[in-house]
Amino acid sequence: MSNAPPQTNAGHSDQAFVKASQYTFETLAQLYNQSRIDYIVPMPMNARRMEEYILYNDVALDASIVTLNGSGEETGIGMLGLRDRRAWFTRLGVIPERRGHKVGQFITENLIQKARNNDATHGQLEVIEGNEPAFNLFRKLGFEPTRKLMVIRRPPGKAKTSALSDTTGATLLTQDEIHACLTARTDQPSWLDETASLLHAGMLEGLCLGDDWVIYRKTTVQLSAFIFNAPENAPLLIRAVHQRHPMLDTKIENVETHLWAAYQAAGYFEAFARIEMHLSL
Amino acid sequence: MNLIVIIEDNPDSARLASRILQRAGFEVIVGDEGELGMQIVLGNQPSLILVDLGLPDIDGQTVVAMLRQHQHLDPVPIIAFTAWPEHTAHEMAAAYGCDGIIVKPIDTRRFADQIKAFLTPDYRSS
Repeated sequence: MSNAPPQTNAGHSDQAFVKASQYTFETLAQLYNQSRIDYIVPMPMNARRMEEYILYNDVALDASIVTLNGSGEETGIGMLGLRDRRAWFTRLGVIPERRGHKVGQFITENLIQKARNNDATHGQLEVIEGNEPAFNLFRKLGFEPTRKLMVIRRPPGKAKTSALSDTTGATLLTQDEIHACLTARTDQPSWLDETASLLHAGMLEGLCLGDDWVIYRKTTVQLSAFIFNAPENAPLLIRAVHQRHPMLDTKIENVETHLWAAYQAAGYFEAFARIEMHLSL
Repeated sequence: MNLIVIIEDNPDSARLASRILQRAGFEVIVGDEGELGMQIVLGNQPSLILVDLGLPDIDGQTVVAMLRQHQHLDPVPIIAFTAWPEHTAHEMAAAYGCDGIIVKPIDTRRFADQIKAFLTPDYRSS
């Protein structure tokens, strides 16, 4: 960390923050992991995953913060993604042994201010369902819940076949076609699934069945981020993906609940859920 | 000596589990990330693999799925080592081909016996 002076706020005289850009990815990952160690769903990151997360999701490290107590010890972390005039509040966490001093509120209030300073007029975040302290804090600061988003998984395995679900005609989309499809999409994705995130992350593959398509991310070990043009045909398209990649594990974040039945029929189960919340800035 | 591979990123948790298992007569190797853990497993012949479901590079579930694709590991119990809510953990562990779960924080008095139970002939033939 460099020696740029920490900033404080009125009403939080024993707390200060510094820009997250003063820290290495390694240290940011460590701070984040520490803050989430006792979470309902711990999702640790190493430095590489933290760097990818920041790059893929347009997290602005100069607008993101690490908080300090009066002794100069790190107490928590909060990050801000910025796109157009929208701000995404993410990776918020307070280190367990340093909780109880309204650090979470200090982080969120400062991120809201940073969002305004960056001309954002709209804020959004996701909180894990069941994390009542965080949910209540965000409500208190003006965020309103808008929808439930599910995190679902499917272990490797062939998709069940059915006479009514012939996917043999599925063809691969070219990268140009994938870009064209993403440009034309009409769904309302969460921040993680917005076209910018998908294109930054890359490794996209797409399948087309008649007029319908599905685009997804495929790494060497996992499938993720399924996007459909016609949700009513999702069952067939999901099956087509798994028939093509039967050996890959699948984890899909932030699935809207109206798609759950289609995924469930293809062998998915719910890992946990998030509540998306919005704030007019 | 039975070798146990622990794939766990939390150093305190890994250290405690290792110490208990070593005292119970097991040899233990720890990998603190999924990729490293898989390398350790594939480079050795463990008697049991303990996998944290929340790892910093690859999800623990994905690690289990990949290990289960190696047929020579079929007889090796893979145990999910997790702080997830128990119901979800059971469902997830079963779906991914784990042989059981051990919920964190571990019960230090029972932990070695829990591991041994997965290694007994009764368990393996069931």
